[in-house]
Amino acid sequence: MDKLPDPVVYAVPAFILLLIAEMILSLRRDKSRYEARDTLTSLMLGTVSQVAGALVGAAVIGMSVFVYQFRLFDIEIEFSRWWWAWVLCFFLDDLAYYAFHRSAHRVRWFWASHVIHHSSQHYNLSTALRQTWTGFFSLTFLFRLPLFLIGFPPAMVFFCAGLNLIYQFWIHTEAIKRLPKWFEAVMNTPSHHRVHHGVNPRYLDANYAGVFIIWDKMFGSFVPERDDEPVRYGIVKQLGSFNILWAAVHEWVGIAKDVWAAPWRHKLDYMWREPGWSHDGSRATSAMIKERWAAGRPVEPAE
Amino acid sequence: MNQAALVQLGASLIAVFFVAWLVGKIGLGGDPRIADASHAIRLAEEAEAGFKGIEVARDRAGFAAIVQNAEGRMMLVRAHGNFFAARPVDASVIGRLDKDFLTLTTPERTFGAVTLQLGKDAGMWASRMREFTRG
Repeated sequence: MDKLPDPVVYAVPAFILLLIAEMILSLRRDKSRYEARDTLTSLMLGTVSQVAGALVGAAVIGMSVFVYQFRLFDIEIEFSRWWWAWVLCFFLDDLAYYAFHRSAHRVRWFWASHVIHHSSQHYNLSTALRQTWTGFFSLTFLFRLPLFLIGFPPAMVFFCAGLNLIYQFWIHTEAIKRLPKWFEAVMNTPSHHRVHHGVNPRYLDANYAGVFIIWDKMFGSFVPERDDEPVRYGIVKQLGSFNILWAAVHEWVGIAKDVWAAPWRHKLDYMWREPGWSHDGSRATSAMIKERWAAGRPVEPAE
Repeated sequence: MNQAALVQLGASLIAVFFVAWLVGKIGLGGDPRIADASHAIRLAEEAEAGFKGIEVARDRAGFAAIVQNAEGRMMLVRAHGNFFAARPVDASVIGRLDKDFLTLTTPERTFGAVTLQLGKDAGMWASRMREFTRG
């Protein structure tokens, strides 16, 4: 397999400098944008996530190389001749990310892993680094396999995935309000991604994009941020704890308890149904929360 | 893990602790308090869609509150970092009354116990809680 450097490794110093710059800005604008224990939790979750990624990296690469054998097309990695394939790979990798991300919010098995990223009530650059430990266990790598089947070399795909991750770092901020209209129309921005992290019923399950917001607009999951409704961040049932281990595994523990206690015919449902689903209707899914909210709010004038 | 990876991990941990220390050192952070009954109700309603609070027992310092709806259901709201977190007060929550203080212990160890200074109202809220959770 061709080898390319991991772009994320080179971006880390910039991540730290930007983080400190945002902290200094927060000192002037709003001190409550940061909290030491929250920042420590986010950064520790990110660090252990890197370790977990390194431990399973060989298995993920092995699987991608295996699938790549059955490719439909032969695409080479050389940029000068295959630049268009690089562009296409970046674009399709972002589409695969959208599919993964949407599933990560709609299927509890995937959510159990992704919830870590949403578990902070803060929205700052440290939140971007609050990453999962259990991505491999929840099978999230499956979403990229079609790219190898098409024929994009694994090294190209992983490099593009690294660039995608780097792009998503800077959008985790309240320091940038809105960007030029043309940019907001095409790209994922801090404003769009704030909505994604929101627990306000209006904002639940929206804006799954990684780099290009066009996927949300195409697939009907786009919700714009409103100036009259500030985003409240976190998860529907806020953790109420800075315990790092609990942040990493709480949803897995929840699944295990539910599967154990559920009637036989519903055991699997607690793994693959949407977060908040229960066989007796005693909990609320995001759709139910939105319904209750819509029933209780005054009618908005048509735009 | 090879030596380079271990060095990288060590450097990451140093950076992590430095940044978290810096957040506290430069004075970032807030001191969230529940200002009044309407604030407590808003927080409870934000925590559970459809919950409509009507009565409130607010801790004197504003660190926590119990909000009750028309059906008698209660929500416990408490400060968490710069924000707030809430849990329903059901049969699994243990209440202990000590003069003006009411301590609620949720079954979630990581959420922990919350002590509210409610003054003379503490006894009344303790019995309300008992009535509802037995109910």
